[in-house]
Amino acid sequence: MSFGAPGWLLAAALLVALGLWAFERARRVRDARDLAYSDLAFLRRTLGERDRFGALLRGAWIAGLALAALALARPHLLLPVPVHDGAVVLCIDTSGSMASTDIVPTRALAARAAATRFIEEMARGERVAIVAFSGAASVVQPLTARHAAAIAALDTLPAPNGPTAIGDALALAGTLLGQRGPRTVVLVTDGVNNTGIDPLAAASTLGERGIHVDTVGIGTNSGSLIPGTSEAAGIDDAALRAYARASGGRFVRVENSSELRGALGALGRVTSFERKSVDVSLAAAFVGALLLALAAFAAVGLGRIS
Amino acid sequence: MTLREALLRGRNRPRILGGGSPTTSRGDGYEFVQLRGYLIGDDVRRIDWAATARSGALQTRVMLEDIALIFAAICDRSPSMRLGRRRALADAADDAVAAWFGASGGEDRAIALLSQGPVPNRARPGRSGAALAREALRTQREEDFDPNALFDIATATLPRGAALLLVTDAAGAERSEDARLAEIALRYDATLALARDPWQSDLPLHGFARLVDVESGEPYLRWFGKRERDTYRRASVAREEEVVRRFARFGWRTGILEESDGTAALAEAFGIPRGALD
Repeated sequence: MSFGAPGWLLAAALLVALGLWAFERARRVRDARDLAYSDLAFLRRTLGERDRFGALLRGAWIAGLALAALALARPHLLLPVPVHDGAVVLCIDTSGSMASTDIVPTRALAARAAATRFIEEMARGERVAIVAFSGAASVVQPLTARHAAAIAALDTLPAPNGPTAIGDALALAGTLLGQRGPRTVVLVTDGVNNTGIDPLAAASTLGERGIHVDTVGIGTNSGSLIPGTSEAAGIDDAALRAYARASGGRFVRVENSSELRGALGALGRVTSFERKSVDVSLAAAFVGALLLALAAFAAVGLGRIS
Repeated sequence: MTLREALLRGRNRPRILGGGSPTTSRGDGYEFVQLRGYLIGDDVRRIDWAATARSGALQTRVMLEDIALIFAAICDRSPSMRLGRRRALADAADDAVAAWFGASGGEDRAIALLSQGPVPNRARPGRSGAALAREALRTQREEDFDPNALFDIATATLPRGAALLLVTDAAGAERSEDARLAEIALRYDATLALARDPWQSDLPLHGFARLVDVESGEPYLRWFGKRERDTYRRASVAREEEVVRRFARFGWRTGILEESDGTAALAEAFGIPRGALD
């Protein structure tokens, strides 16, 4: 937490002390009007020992005062706020190994369904682009804020075939993203980079530009053969984790289609928000005033003696 | 029947022996109670010859002794007796004490038992003694009520057979120890006038309300809804019943002291009409 006007903190402390004094004084005045009772111990035994309401009232009063006082110092909090000018590039692996069926129905189809979920979870106004890559990378959908169009473009993803050029896909994604605003690349792949430029270098370059690379590794530990070949459909967890780390992004490993949908859905929500320092003075003042009003009303206005 | 007569009838010592028993004044008694068959030891002067002739067997007249009674009273003057809906319980207690001492006769003695000791310190028969004792109880200083200490003073100063009235509320009555209650009931004709909780019928708190303990000054804040008021009413009634049961178990007479009419507690305790106490 930081303060826009820290000098007010002293005034806030004085206000809290003043409030406590006023509360105590009001309590004494009210005591004089309280119903005189003969045997409090009996009443406590009968109705319950703990004076929870009293503690709650005092707590609300003090918290209200503290919040109202804090509001004077213009507090700022790092909060996740919705991204409206953000941009995300979805890089989807379409190499031959994505035809593997260890994730039902195939890795490629599961990735396509999960990408749909990802786009659905994005904030309104946030832009998305889609890059497909195998031996080379290509733009399937340029950056657009029309999410329906992006979801439709997923149907045009090429069929799984060829090697895996992760570095090329990251570099192409970098060219699609501008120089400003929250920018993210989400890499969905099952394979080991085996062609094109160095993915780690590409991820580092993106990181230097303030672009996060979130990597999603698809595939089971047992793996399977790439259809039509005798080659195993492997996955390089360490490399994917390194790409993410190099750019300040996250790495997620999934082994079935539901995990994949969940992971991409979560990423969609995460990329829809960014952490920003937000001035919460108004909220603190409002909540403080509300608590004070409630406590004051409860203390003097709600009860009656008939 | 008057309160005094009820006390005479209720005396614990041998009281309906035809031969009578020691008295503080002269005479063999004046009030006829019943006839019964002659027992060895009966005073022959008590034989009712007419009844003997009618029945064919010796009949003895049973009389109430004409003796002086000792009226003693303990009255709770703790702050809780200040409470009441329309009238302080202390005022109702004054009514009861006034009726109590008012029932005393010319040769009876009246003694107020205070934490400092009995008043009058020396037995003083007659109406002036009753007035002194009543005034002493009415003007005693407000203080925490310790019935056990007052019972100790009673056993130290009152002769056996005295009539002792205790006026207090449930909180005060609950402080008394069983052993002392039993001892008092054994020595004296003991009566409890138990002040009813003014809020028993309906705790007058609604919503988020506060009350303060009149003895300790401690405040208490909580929500009072219908459920809380119902719970309180049941608990207060149960508490009162428990106190009455406990005192009755040790042989005390008991009556409930309402703030509106303190005298009625004595009428209830002695089973006499309320009008007999005016």
